[in-house]
Amino acid sequence: MKIKKLLCVLVAVVAAATLMCTAVSAVDPYTTYNYDAWWNAVPSQAGYEVIDTADSTRIGLSQLADPESEFFISENEPTTMSDMKDFFFADNGDIYICDTGNNRIIKTDINFNLLACYKYFPGSTSKHTVTDEEGNTVEVDADELKAPYGIFVDHDGEMYIADRDNQRIVRCVEETKTSARILTEYYRPESALYDTQSFYCTKVVVDSAKNVYVICPAVNKGAIMFSEAGSFLGFYGANRVEVTATVIRNRIWRKIASDSQLASIERATPVEYANFDIDDEGFIYTVTEVANTTTDAVKKLNPAGYNILERTADNDSFGDQVSITYNGTTYATRLTDISISDDHFINILDYTSGRVFQYDERCNQLLICGFDQEEQRGGFNNPNAIETYDDKIYVLDGRNCDITVFGLTEFGRYVHEAIALHNEGLYEEAYDIWQEVLKRDGGYYMALIGTAKALYNQDDYKGAIKYSKLSFDADEYDRAFEANRQETLRNNFTLYVIIILIIIVILVIIKILKKKGKIPQKLIATGVGKIAEGGKKIISNIVASTKKGGKK
Amino acid sequence: MLYDMKPWQWVKHVVFHPTEGFEDMRWKKAGSLKIAFFIVFLLFASQVFSSRYGGFAYNTRAYSDIFNIVPILVQSVAYYATWVVANWSLCTLFDGEGNMRRVAIYSAYALVPYIVGNFLSTAISYGLTLDESIWYNAIYLVGLWWSVILMVFGMKACHQYNFTVTIVTMICTVLGMLIILVLLALIMSLFQQVYVFFATIYTEILYRVRS
Repeated sequence: MKIKKLLCVLVAVVAAATLMCTAVSAVDPYTTYNYDAWWNAVPSQAGYEVIDTADSTRIGLSQLADPESEFFISENEPTTMSDMKDFFFADNGDIYICDTGNNRIIKTDINFNLLACYKYFPGSTSKHTVTDEEGNTVEVDADELKAPYGIFVDHDGEMYIADRDNQRIVRCVEETKTSARILTEYYRPESALYDTQSFYCTKVVVDSAKNVYVICPAVNKGAIMFSEAGSFLGFYGANRVEVTATVIRNRIWRKIASDSQLASIERATPVEYANFDIDDEGFIYTVTEVANTTTDAVKKLNPAGYNILERTADNDSFGDQVSITYNGTTYATRLTDISISDDHFINILDYTSGRVFQYDERCNQLLICGFDQEEQRGGFNNPNAIETYDDKIYVLDGRNCDITVFGLTEFGRYVHEAIALHNEGLYEEAYDIWQEVLKRDGGYYMALIGTAKALYNQDDYKGAIKYSKLSFDADEYDRAFEANRQETLRNNFTLYVIIILIIIVILVIIKILKKKGKIPQKLIATGVGKIAEGGKKIISNIVASTKKGGKK
Repeated sequence: MLYDMKPWQWVKHVVFHPTEGFEDMRWKKAGSLKIAFFIVFLLFASQVFSSRYGGFAYNTRAYSDIFNIVPILVQSVAYYATWVVANWSLCTLFDGEGNMRRVAIYSAYALVPYIVGNFLSTAISYGLTLDESIWYNAIYLVGLWWSVILMVFGMKACHQYNFTVTIVTMICTVLGMLIILVLLALIMSLFQQVYVFFATIYTEILYRVRS
């Protein structure tokens, strides 16, 4: 009875404790997770939490239809955003939002106060043929945008807008609060190299030399590159073809097929990339969206267009490691946008799950945040773009029509601090911070590696061995093990030598005695025999007793 | 008498006299089936040992929780059994003189160096760094090839073949093993279907009886 009572009390205490725990830790409506050494998802601390959400009302878009306001455009101007595809943070923190559905660019400051709304873009050199109300075709200035899909703002404050349905890139500067003057337009290149008929550009990036890089989904040769003046420079950094069984089979067939058969074999073409970003050193990072590609899913391109992404991790895929099939639909990672933060973290937005995956510059998985339940804060329906400013992550949702701001938690801040030191090779300085991380998530992979490295540098080889075992890092273990072995050998050298000498002496003595015949063969034999007989007796006794036990 | 040895002494004799040992054993009609089965058990044990133990850098898999004993059981005991059966059934057709008991004993005795090498290499991997893996590999490979040589001479002595025929029959035996294993897998899947069929009937009847 007593035990029962005790048990009841115990169960009650445990239940209460768990309930209290969940109540305390319910910061996020979803379980945050991370990947361990085997690429299994394991629960982890939240590195980011939602600190703000900004929608059309918050930005104050009603001023656009208010005649009193300085931002007044017209009475009928939509006061909500619609299907935004992209946004951009200028150096001073101003946010430029591509309001794709309403063909305008909204500019706000970092606190989402409206600064401007560019609706008119005078200064175009091209004319558009438009059918007017009476059915005549008239030529008008192309002074409005048509589905702007991408925006980039350079250090001089010049906007580059991928004006998709007008098939042009517009480079412009602010003129009034509602209009921006076009400086240059970039059209479909009139070059034999460019063999695609259309120029439906979706994303644009500009480097410090004002070369313009454009993504067209119909072009798979890489980004289209223009000079500042608008002349076509060539293609930049195409993806490679992923080697699959089909590709190999087609390659073999190609050798033996006739010409007419050749025509029916599909050609292996690389996948075009979905989005890119440029970091402050001028390296362009690209992501490829197609599900299940592992070749060139994320690339870091140098100015020559070569991939120089440094991989220390041995896995090949970014985003979620497994795809889930639910109700007949397969949900696999679709990397839709990438953003490089000021401290060189790579943030990748997964369109399918609405999650943001953060990696350091060596592609070590750091933090994961966000999810795909649009009804809740921090959940996304149609996440189209991701940007970073300071240490915050901003995600643009095209259907919820809002921007969600993720701020670092204490845990996330520790991780960032430690990984920055870690990647500079300052393992010992990072040690204390990794301990703080491990207090909050004892299985955090990078923290285990970092601790192992720090302990190795501090000549604590036993500790390094322990942590490299925990992080399953065989090479790190090997280093620590070798050092540890050397240390033990050095410290106990005399002892080992004495032991070895004693063994040798004993062996020699036995051999000499044997040779002289002082140990008769029989003695050895009986000695062995006695031991063997004794063993036999014990075994037979055990066998007998078990048999007896069995009979009972 | 020189060849008046205890059963376990014969194992030592055979292992250290690859060319003569098996002939001597055949001549003296020595070799114990009990010891042979014990050696096969040791083979199984050595494979378990090498997959569950070893230096961390050499065998990280040993330090994860996932361990399945069935593949190891198949790789040791089942392979040995199929080898014996296939070799015996082939060599009876090829005018071999060995009976199944002898094939079983000689094959098992030939495995001893491999088992020792397996145990030893795993044990010394605790003291080696990855740069010194040549020692690990050397011990393992010496054990393996020693066993292969012993196996060739064992089969030669067992069936009283010349060298070429021994090699040919051994290759054929490996093919025979493959056939046996494929057939076994086939039979097992068929029996599973039969079992599922009867199980369904059983549950069906149970439902009828209850309702």
